[in-house]
Amino acid sequence: MNLVLVFQSLISGIMMGAVYALLGIGFSLTWGVMKVINVSHATFGLIAAFVAYTLFKVFGMDPVASLAVTLPSLFGLGCLVYWFLINPITRAKAVIVSSMILTFGIAIILENLILLVWGADPRLLTTSYTNKVFAIGPLYFQYPRVLGFLMAVVGVTAIQLFLKRTLTGKAVRAAWQQSEASQLCGINLKKISMITFGLAVASAGAGGVGMAMLYSFEPHSHNLWLIYLFLVVIVGGVGNILGAAAGGMLIGVITGLSMAFLPYQWINVLTFGLLMLILIFRPHGLFRSEV
Amino acid sequence: MGQDSGWSKRTLLLVIVFISCVTIFPWLGPPVYFISFAFNVFIYITLATSWNIIGGYTGYLSFGHVAFFGIGAYAAAIFGMWFGLSPALNILASIPAGLVSMLLAILVGYPCLRLRGPYFAVITLCFAFVTELTIRNLDFLGGADGLWLKGLALPIEVSRSIFFELMLVLTLVTLFVANRIEKSKFGSGLRAIKEDEEVAQTMAINTPKLKITAFAISAFFPGVAGGLYACYLTYIHPDIVFDVNVSILIVLMALFGGGAFWFGPLVGATILTFVNEGLSTFVKAEYARIIYGCLFIIVIIFMPNGILEFAKTRMVKKPAKFEAAVK
Repeated sequence: MNLVLVFQSLISGIMMGAVYALLGIGFSLTWGVMKVINVSHATFGLIAAFVAYTLFKVFGMDPVASLAVTLPSLFGLGCLVYWFLINPITRAKAVIVSSMILTFGIAIILENLILLVWGADPRLLTTSYTNKVFAIGPLYFQYPRVLGFLMAVVGVTAIQLFLKRTLTGKAVRAAWQQSEASQLCGINLKKISMITFGLAVASAGAGGVGMAMLYSFEPHSHNLWLIYLFLVVIVGGVGNILGAAAGGMLIGVITGLSMAFLPYQWINVLTFGLLMLILIFRPHGLFRSEV
Repeated sequence: MGQDSGWSKRTLLLVIVFISCVTIFPWLGPPVYFISFAFNVFIYITLATSWNIIGGYTGYLSFGHVAFFGIGAYAAAIFGMWFGLSPALNILASIPAGLVSMLLAILVGYPCLRLRGPYFAVITLCFAFVTELTIRNLDFLGGADGLWLKGLALPIEVSRSIFFELMLVLTLVTLFVANRIEKSKFGSGLRAIKEDEEVAQTMAINTPKLKITAFAISAFFPGVAGGLYACYLTYIHPDIVFDVNVSILIVLMALFGGGAFWFGPLVGATILTFVNEGLSTFVKAEYARIIYGCLFIIVIIFMPNGILEFAKTRMVKKPAKFEAAVK
């Protein structure tokens, strides 16, 4: 086996995986904290990708800079969605399942809004540095992937710091560990949940822009992204941020390596099959869940 | 159905008259469009009702039920190809096709049914994706080109009417089985699983066996429906018979009607198929789907137990009449 090729796929796998992780942490957070499986998570990311595309085409704005616009608006949108749609069902018995169906409805609505605004054509975010590479020894690094990787590192670190260091973040974790006791301590559960959901949706926006720099995207892309989300979150353990990061990298490495050695059309079979096997044998993730 | 305690004589008579009217409908010479549309309604009723046996009664939401439909369609097509069956015999091959689906459901269900809640939903969704992608990648199954079947050498009205009747029979059988299950001890066991699986186990209910039986039964009817559909269309393609949206639509239909009753999916599937057809005829596809998405949200927020339960609580003044309709 060609060693350089293996390392090359390993590196690009890690870089792709970091973006999957960035897309997945918010998903993991809402699932773990609120027991809400937000199936429309990837669709919010897709909207950010399309907005970044338009801002780039019209104003020449760099995709990363476009996050300054999309992240706050997605945060607001996420808060609104939580307040009006998710909150009414959180008291129901089967929140997890009803939230899946409800957010599936949201995903359909968003997908068709994207279709109405942008049309069905696949898009590619081609910036000035898309095809630029730099080399370290025999290994090549593509700029967009490195950028995506850095974005993911910043994003995951930011969310981790938010949860561990800020008062609001601590409230989120408290509400997650002991919802009733935290309310007794004066934590407004509804408000905290809203902020968490908004943050999760905003992180999906960052992840979506990251994905857009790696792959071409179209209004239906979120379906495939969603499968990656489930993979990342289930491998990493639900609600476990660092687990999701590690899970994302692992998935990235596996797809990266299989891309090098497997015919293209079998890669998704492998991905889905892998998810099924993990679900059967390690449904609570490969790593110890950290609460 | 006659000896069922829930049916009053009048309801039974009404049902029989209604079924007879539906049976003679295609022979009165309506436009073919209506026959095909009714055929679609029957398919959705069959799918939603059989989904409900596992999803509604036990609360194990299978998001990949379309896989069994697709497998049935492919199995029927392959039986026809390998044994060189005539078109009429190929229709009969739908029943072994249903058995193939059932067998696969047992194989897949055995490991998957140990998972609960969202994990089960995700794994069944994955199962649907894996089957679709595998068939798409295998050349001897037609791959991405699809498979052709021989059609009946009859005028289109006649062949459509025949399929209409066959599908009607399948739908009635499915509804009957769902009804019987609901009234039986088996059905009570399934509902006990939905309420609390651990408690059910301590009450000496063999939950793994019940779940796998329910899963197998709920895979059989979609398989037969898939076989009939393949013969009806005379062409199958992974995109058509493995459409994941159909999978999720089935779930919505059953929940929309109300998963606790055998009657719920029938109501849900009928209403939603009509709404879908109406929307896609009169508005742009994107708007139609947006309205559809809103429907998901409305159902979950305002009628979490389905439209039947919703109507029941709103019609407390005349419960006797409504009870009769539900049971």
